[in-house]
Parts: sequence; structure tokens; C-alpha cells
Amino acid sequence: MSQNRNLTFGQRFLANEWSALAVAIVIGLVTLATLSSAFLTEFNLYVMLRSFCVVLIVAFAQMLTLAVGQMNLSVGALGGLVAIAVGGMMEKWGFPVPVAILCGLAIGAGGGLINGLLTVRTGINGFIITLATASAFTGINLGITESIPFYNLPASFVAFGTGRISALPYLLLPPVLIAIALAFFLARTVPGRQLLAVGGNPQAAELSGIPRDGVIVMAHTLSGLLAGAAAILAVAQLGSAQPSIGVDWLLMSFAAPIIGGAALAGGHISVAATALAVVLIVIIQNGMVLAKVDPYWVQFLLGALILAAVGLNRLRAVRAGGA
Amino acid sequence: MTPSSDSRARPSWLAEQSNLIGLAAIIILFWFLFTSLAPGFVSSFNLFALSRSLAVDIVIGFSTMVVLATGGMNLAIGSIGVCAVMASGYLMQTIGLPIPVAMALALLLGAFLGWLNGFVIVRSGVNSFIITLASASLFLGGMLILSKAQTFNALPPEIAAFGRMRWGGFVSPLLLVALAIGAALVVLFRFTALGREILAAGANPRAAELSGVPVGRAIIIAHTLSGALAASAGLMLVFRLGAAMPSIGQDWLLPSFLAPVLGGTLLAGGFVSVVGTILGALLVTTLRSGLLVMQIGNFWLQLFLGLILLAAVMIDRYRGVYAERRSLGRKTNLGRKESGRRA
Amino acid sequence: MRLTIEGIGKDFPGVTALDDVSFEILPGETHALMGENGAGKSTLIKIITGLYRPDRGRLLVDGKPVDFTSPRDAIAAGISAVHQERNLIPRFTVGENIMIERPPTRNGVIDFDKVHSEARRFLDMIDPTIDTRTEVRHLSVAQMQIVEIAKALSLEARVLLLDEPTASITGHEADALFAVVRRLRDEGKAIVFVSHKLEEVMAISDRVTVLRDGRIAAAGQPIAQMDRGKIVTAMIGREERVAEMGTRSVDRTKTVMEARNVATSLGHKNVSFQLHKGEILGLYGLVGAGRTELARALIGDARIVSGELRLNGNPVTIPDVPTAIRRHRLGYISEDRKAEGLILTHPIRSNIAISVWRRIASALGLITRADERRIAHPLVEKLEVKTPSIEQAVGKLSGGNQQKVSIAKWLAAGVEILIIDEPTVGIDIKTKTAIHELIGEITREGLSVLLISSDMPEMITLADRILVMRDFAIAGTIENTRRYEPMSREIMGLIHAGSADAAPAAETAHG
Repeated sequence: MSQNRNLTFGQRFLANEWSALAVAIVIGLVTLATLSSAFLTEFNLYVMLRSFCVVLIVAFAQMLTLAVGQMNLSVGALGGLVAIAVGGMMEKWGFPVPVAILCGLAIGAGGGLINGLLTVRTGINGFIITLATASAFTGINLGITESIPFYNLPASFVAFGTGRISALPYLLLPPVLIAIALAFFLARTVPGRQLLAVGGNPQAAELSGIPRDGVIVMAHTLSGLLAGAAAILAVAQLGSAQPSIGVDWLLMSFAAPIIGGAALAGGHISVAATALAVVLIVIIQNGMVLAKVDPYWVQFLLGALILAAVGLNRLRAVRAGGA
Repeated sequence: MTPSSDSRARPSWLAEQSNLIGLAAIIILFWFLFTSLAPGFVSSFNLFALSRSLAVDIVIGFSTMVVLATGGMNLAIGSIGVCAVMASGYLMQTIGLPIPVAMALALLLGAFLGWLNGFVIVRSGVNSFIITLASASLFLGGMLILSKAQTFNALPPEIAAFGRMRWGGFVSPLLLVALAIGAALVVLFRFTALGREILAAGANPRAAELSGVPVGRAIIIAHTLSGALAASAGLMLVFRLGAAMPSIGQDWLLPSFLAPVLGGTLLAGGFVSVVGTILGALLVTTLRSGLLVMQIGNFWLQLFLGLILLAAVMIDRYRGVYAERRSLGRKTNLGRKESGRRA
Repeated sequence: MRLTIEGIGKDFPGVTALDDVSFEILPGETHALMGENGAGKSTLIKIITGLYRPDRGRLLVDGKPVDFTSPRDAIAAGISAVHQERNLIPRFTVGENIMIERPPTRNGVIDFDKVHSEARRFLDMIDPTIDTRTEVRHLSVAQMQIVEIAKALSLEARVLLLDEPTASITGHEADALFAVVRRLRDEGKAIVFVSHKLEEVMAISDRVTVLRDGRIAAAGQPIAQMDRGKIVTAMIGREERVAEMGTRSVDRTKTVMEARNVATSLGHKNVSFQLHKGEILGLYGLVGAGRTELARALIGDARIVSGELRLNGNPVTIPDVPTAIRRHRLGYISEDRKAEGLILTHPIRSNIAISVWRRIASALGLITRADERRIAHPLVEKLEVKTPSIEQAVGKLSGGNQQKVSIAKWLAAGVEILIIDEPTVGIDIKTKTAIHELIGEITREGLSVLLISSDMPEMITLADRILVMRDFAIAGTIENTRRYEPMSREIMGLIHAGSADAAPAAETAHG
């Protein structure tokens, strides 16, 4: 019966999802390479890859909450808190780097756990909960630091943030590992599949014996953990723990997963597509810099890009519905 | 099971107002606290400063409230506000238009940007969260590109003069403007067909549509109104600062939700409280001003605001009204549970 | 495993859904659970499967009391269910959906080969043609149903609950399902078979329990001692006969609505009918026959792509619902009162006046509560809506009173044609009669009604003529003789004519 036709339609659909992004990236690369001689230099590639790292993890942090039909407005605030906590632990308390990093990750995960528990226990919309916790996290951050950054970080830590092999920054290692781990987690492990199941059809998941609330808490916790990881990378990248780390993450965190095709209703996310979306955003940003265009265009284009992606998804959904 | 057996009759007026009374009590408590800890809190200078920022917070809250009424949200309020601000600065300083004309055009711009949001949301059928997240970035970027982020600080002197004006020693006329807008909104939501339609569209869009309410139109009008209100809030800041700055609006997101949510407006749509929003804004402004006067500084303010918002929604969660609404939702259908949730 | 239901009761605001329900489900039997819509079947199922907790009474498994706080607990106790709602994850494969509760893993990693081979084993029991590697969203509704049953089987349940399992599957699939059910029963499992299809129940079950108005009307009666009449009597609380509507005279010369070869964007073909002034025209068919969808097209909520719709003799095109109401005086009462009919959190007053806000507003667009009350109050009185106050939130009313508010809304709007979709779903028997009388009364006052119902007795009680729909087309029109047996045979004949495949399973689908 119609199953076969649907399948091929499904395959085309999948192909579309990838192709739009891939085509945009290729066009961007070719255009920039031909227009600017500086684009393909080793240093420029290094700069691009470096700016890719933090954004990618931030996008993943948001993607996990979107996957279960939630959102996390506190990614940036939590990131800022972890950044100054890690900086403070290393500078003021003289913690060894690995210990400080572990503590930072724990704070991130803890913040996420609070978000998750509050959301599930109160039954209140995650939007309001994370809006409130975002404010609280920022308040703690600013209250502790009074907006003064920590500059004296261990040399080894800062060296990691600036080191590179040719065009490849050391900094790229953690996000690549995280991406692989995340893809594996979502594709092959029981909790990963449960996370997608809850996002795809919450009642069905619940009726199938999946602990829905527990899965939502897990998604928030992982989101916080990743926000913490992104913050630690940002500290390494900047060479100092700025309290302002994270203030500009919000838009980016939604932009990449949405451009990558995450349905806000949950259940449909893709690690690879989100990563591709981040690549596209980074290329656009880099192109703006190379073309010496007003940096404000980045803001404008990001908004336009989200709308375009949403429009495209919508169009596809309508076509799929009609078939 | 006949409903006429009355345990479930309409809650008394007092119960209905309990949220507002609680809020007012908390505000009085804080006033008492701040006044006793820092007498400077009730100085006419501080009260004046408080009344000016209260005016802005109230209108920002209204801007979000009218969209919450439809069950949507508007994350672009800050961006629309700053677009109106910069437009008014440009029209007054560069073009040299008279103040009222420039202000009117700036308001129109705000309304237009809001309309644009509403139009795209209704036409695309996409969640207002995403659309306004994107348009916030789009509007802000557009404004920065056009204005090159330059402040307009050579505005006509009347602007700053009006901003400094005090009535009765400590009341800014801006507060009166905000309250007048509030009165107009009360009329809109209580006594007009349009206001009712917006609430009906928020409470149950499908039922409203099938009852003959033009739901799409109601949503677009609510967003247009939200844009105009955001522009008004921005213009109030122009009066207060005596300049049109591109940084205005960046920190509006939290207060824009705080005021209506503290005041009992439902995130799910279908119910608003104008008086609640005013009280919510008053609580926020009181805290900000009090912490400032006590020299605790702005740094901890964010923490306080976050905790207050959390406390408010959690208290609300345990109130009876909510419990009943929730069980109603649960009875209908497991899947529709969300719609009954209050936030 | 023996599942004992002991004195179970459950209340919702404004209504007691279940009261003192007791019966026992034994291993090795197929136990039918029957009842009309709103009799409490779904609530009982939700309690047994851990979705709801009972307010009174308890469940016992093998004589030991159990307290389920979530579906997990029920599954762990060996109870699994195929619910009426689609409960699959659209973007997961068939195999993964079947094995979702306990996917086979190796070193903590899901072994997808094993997932598919295990799933295959359960799927083969019913339908070997479905590929376990297909994503569920690409399946047809019937295939999804099969997958759900396979999923329930995979849970190795000792009590298997099937809630209307044949509602959307064909005869062959149903036969295969019944064979599986018999086999499982013979293996000693307890099967709870929820259905309102009498023939199906008679064919497959060993015992039957009937619920009526949230109470037990027959508990665990051996099917051998029951016959169709006894079951129906238990279900509706009286003998199966048609209520008297009084003499109705409809003037067939005045046609208020006429469809000529209408095709819609929803897939209707060649729909033609005439609705006369003061007439109740029934629209009968199986779920999925396209009745509600036709209503949507008629009120402008979906497009008419070809053919002609005439109102009072004039061809019209209705662009949207507000236009249908204001210009054409055409209203629609949805079968889903809560999602599409009423605004539950708003008072009765606004719910009635909503359709006339524009009309009663002053030039400035102002309306007052008093204006609304003037509209709503007389109707609340006339329709005898039981409420302490007109300011009461509609959500707190009982189903019957909610339905009266729906009708009041359209009387306020002054519609001339009213489409009523399943008017008595979820309404108890006594109120049902009141609603029926109300519908009769409004037509005597000149309104014309297009009545959609899956309730055969209701249809025969109310309708003057009955249109039978099948596959988004009109299969035929029958003059109502008010004689139940021949009428229902004739209607079923029309429904099944030409669709031999669907016939056996769908037999007297809503009888």
C-alpha cells in the first residue's frame, strides 16, 4: 500500500533537512573563499574553529531541553555562574585545574537539576521557571564578583585555550568529544532513547512505563552540565573568567537547534544538524568580519536565519501533511 | 452532582482578590522594612525616582500582559522599545520634527513592528516564542545598523524638562500616563467586544473560532497593542533620560514577565489582571529602589527578583483555584493537561 | 493472575465518574467491559492501568491490595493496555516502539538487531507484513493499531486490556486479532476486552461486565446466559426501544440548506443532500466516515473545492466560521465540548454571549456584563441549566448542563441552521432525554438541525431522515420509520455495501 511511497517521501524529507543546511554552508564557503583571500588562511580557519567550540556546546545545552519539549532560558546565566566559580576556585582558592573543572561541571549540573526539579515538581511551565532561575544565577554571579573578572588563571589552563596544531585549536577537542558522546547517547542508550520518546509523545512514553518526570529532570540536568562545560571552555578561550560570560548565549542557543530543525514541541532533534547550523552561523559571522561589515548585521542576519529556517520547516510540514 | 448544591459556587470576591491582597501586603511589608532601615527611601527625591521607574515598569508589564492574554508571548518587547526610542531621537534631533509628531510616529512604528509579529505568527502558525525571539534579533540588529548605535543626546530641552517634572513634590507625570494606560486596558478587557475576543482566543482558540470570534485578528491586534505599549515604555525612558540611547530595552525581558505573572495573569492565556500587573511592577520597583537606597547595590537585585518570581509561582501552584483547574484539565484528557497549567 | 476491582469510585469536579464498581477478572478468560459513551469505561481503564488513582475502593492482584501511582506500577504488576489514543512515538521505528519499555541492551548499549528480532516475534503473531524498521509516522492508522497490540504483547502481561481495539482496523486484521486473543486466553492470560460492538463481544468473550452511569449494571455475567437484548438493556437501563418524539410534521417544501455534488479539501466526494426548515437530518456513519469533517466544510472551516452549497436557495461560499455565523446564521456544536465547544474557565454568561459580542456592542465597541446577562439569563432559565449562578465557570457544570450552555449560545446567536455533533457524548441517561427533548423543541420553533451521532437509538429517536456516510461520501438516505430493528439493519446494510473487507469487524459498529 502507501507505505512504500511514504518511505521514499520520508527519505527525501530527510535529505532535504540536511541539504538545505549543507548547500548554504557550501555556498558560504565558496563565496568567502573567492571574495576574500584571507578566508582560507591557516589563522582565519583557526579563529573560526575556535569560535565554533563554545557556541556548539551552548547549542547542545538548549537542544536537550528542546528535545523533551522544554526550554532553558538559564543557559547563559548558569554559564556565567560556572565561569566565575571556576575562575574563583583557581585564582582565589588555588584549586588544581581538574578539580576546579569538575566542581564547575557539578555546579552546572546542579543548576540544571534545580531547573528540572522545579519544573516537574511545580508543574509550572519551564519558561517561567528558567526565567526566574536565570535571574537568580545571574544575581549570585554579580553579587559574588561585583562584575570584577578573575584574571590570574593557571598558565596551563590558559595555554590550552590558545594552543593549536596548525589550524586546529586544542579547544576543539572537548566539543568534538561531546558531540560524539551525545550522538551515541541519543541513538544507542536507554536513557537517550527515553529522552527522545518523552519529547516525541509524552503520554505514550508515560503509558509505556517511561518515568516521564525523571526524564525531564535528566534533560535539564544534562543541559546545565553542558552549559557548565561551555562556560569552562569560554574561560579557557578568553584566558580570564568574565562574569559577563553567557549574557549573549540565549539567542544563539535557540538559533542553532531551530535552524538545525529541532521542533519546539520536542522529540525531534539532531546532533549533526545542530552542529551544521553552528558551522553556518560561524561562517556568517566570520564573513561579516572579513567583509568589514557592521558587526550589527550578525544580529540582524541571525534573526532572519531563524525565521527562514522556521518557514522552511513549516513548508515541509505542510507538504508532508499533504502527502 | 448537581452543581446547584453549592460548595462549588463562585469564589467570594475576597477569594478572587486574594492574590492581589497578598501582593499588596508584601509590598507594604517591604515599604515598611526599607523605610525603617533606610529613611532615605521615602525622601521626596527617592519617591520621585521610584515613580518614574515604576511608570516604565508598569507599561513594560502591560506590553507583555496583552500578549499573554492570547496565550502567546512577546520576547521582542525590548527590541521594539528601542526601535521606537531611536526613531523618536532621529525624528526630533536629525529631522527636527515637533515633539508630539515624533512621538506619535515612534508609537506607530512600535505598533507596526508588533503587528508584523502578530501577522507572521498567525500566518505561519508557528509558536510566538520562536517568531518573537527571531524578530527581537532582527529588529535590534536593524536598529543598530541604521543608527550605528549612536545616542541621540541633543534632543529638545522640553523632553528632559518633562521628565524632571514633579507633581505634588514627588509624582512624575509619567506615572499618571502609565495609570491612564492601565485604565484604558481595564476598559478594553472588561467592557469591549475586542478585549473579550482577545481573552476568549487565549483561553480556548478553537472554541472561540467556532463561536465566531476572529481569532487570528484578535492575536494580531494584541501583538500590535503590545508593540505600541513597548514603544510607549521606551518613550517614557527617553523623557526620563533626556536622550535616545540604543542600550534601552536590553534588560526588559525579566521585568516584562515579572509584573504580569506576579499579578496573576495566566501564561496559558485567557485571563489578565491590570491591577495585578501594576502591583507586580510596584513590587519590582520597590525592591530595586530599596536595595539601591540600602546600598546593597544592583548586584544582588537579580537574585532577589528571581527568587521572588519563583516564590510567587510556587505559592500560586498550591492555591486551591489552581488545583481545581488542574484536575479539570486532567479529567478531560491527559494530553491536554498542559493547557490547564498555570504559571 | 486474578484482578479484583473492589468498590472503586472516582469523582471529578461536577460529576461522579465511577461509583462502587466491583467485579473480578480471572486468568484464562476474555472479559468484556461494556457501556455507553460516558458510562465510565475509560475512567475505569485509567484506574486499572495506573493513570488515575481511585477516590474510593481498591484493586487487588491475586487477593493482595495494590496501589498504582503510575503506569509503571501497573506494568510491573503484569497489567498492560492498548489504549484508544495513539500511544506510539512517531519518529521511532516500529521495532523500537514495540520494545520501548525494556529494550534489549548489551553492555548498556541498545542492541538494535535484537530489538528488531524480538519485535518481529511479537509482530508476527498478528501481522507479518509490517517492517519493524519503518518509522511509525509512515504507517496507516490500522497498522499503528497492530503495532500497539504487538507492544502490549511484548510486555508479557498477564492481564491484557484492549480498549476498542477494532475501532479502526479491517475485518481481516480483526479476525487475526481475535485469534491472538483466543490463543493468549488459552495460555492463561486474562483479557479485558472493551468494546461497544455487541457482535464482537458476543463472539469473543467468556463473561461480560456492563457499566451504566458509572455504576455496575451487570457484573461478570457468563456470556452464555446473556443475549443481545439483555446486554443492551443493561447498557441503557431500559429495553431497547425508541423513545417517542411526539408527532413531528416537517414542511418539506422549504429547503434551507442544499449541497449539490460537493467535494471538499478534506476529501469528500459528490456529497448531495437537502435540509428542510424545522427538520432534523441525521448524519450516521462509522468513525472516520467523514461526518465531522463534512460539518467543518459546511461552516467554512475547510474548503469546498467543487460543487455547490446553497442556503435558502442562494449559492454561497463561506470563507470562515465567523462569516458562517454572522451572515449565514449557521452554527456548529462540536463533539468535543472541552476542546472546541466551550471556554471552561469563563463564566456561563460569556460563553453564551460570545457569539453576539459584536452585535450587542455599542458603536464604540463597548459591552457590559449587564448586556451579556440580558442575553444569557433568559436562555439559562428556558433551558433549565442547573447552576447556582450565571457567573459560574462552565468547567464546573456537569456534561448535560454544559451541552445546554452550548445550545443556548446558538439560540442567542439566532442561528437558523445548527449542526450538532454527538450531542450526548459523556452525558448521563436522564439528561440525555432532556437534551433530546430540547433538540426537538428548537426545531419546532423553526431551527433546522443537522445531527451527527454514532448512537443508533439516538439517531432513530431524533432524526426525521438519516443520511448514511461512508468513506467521505453519502451512501444513502433513509426515511426514519422509528422502528429500531429494520432501521438499524438498513443503515448497516448501507454502511457495509461494497466494502466487504471492512464488513465483519465493523458490524453494527455503534449498535
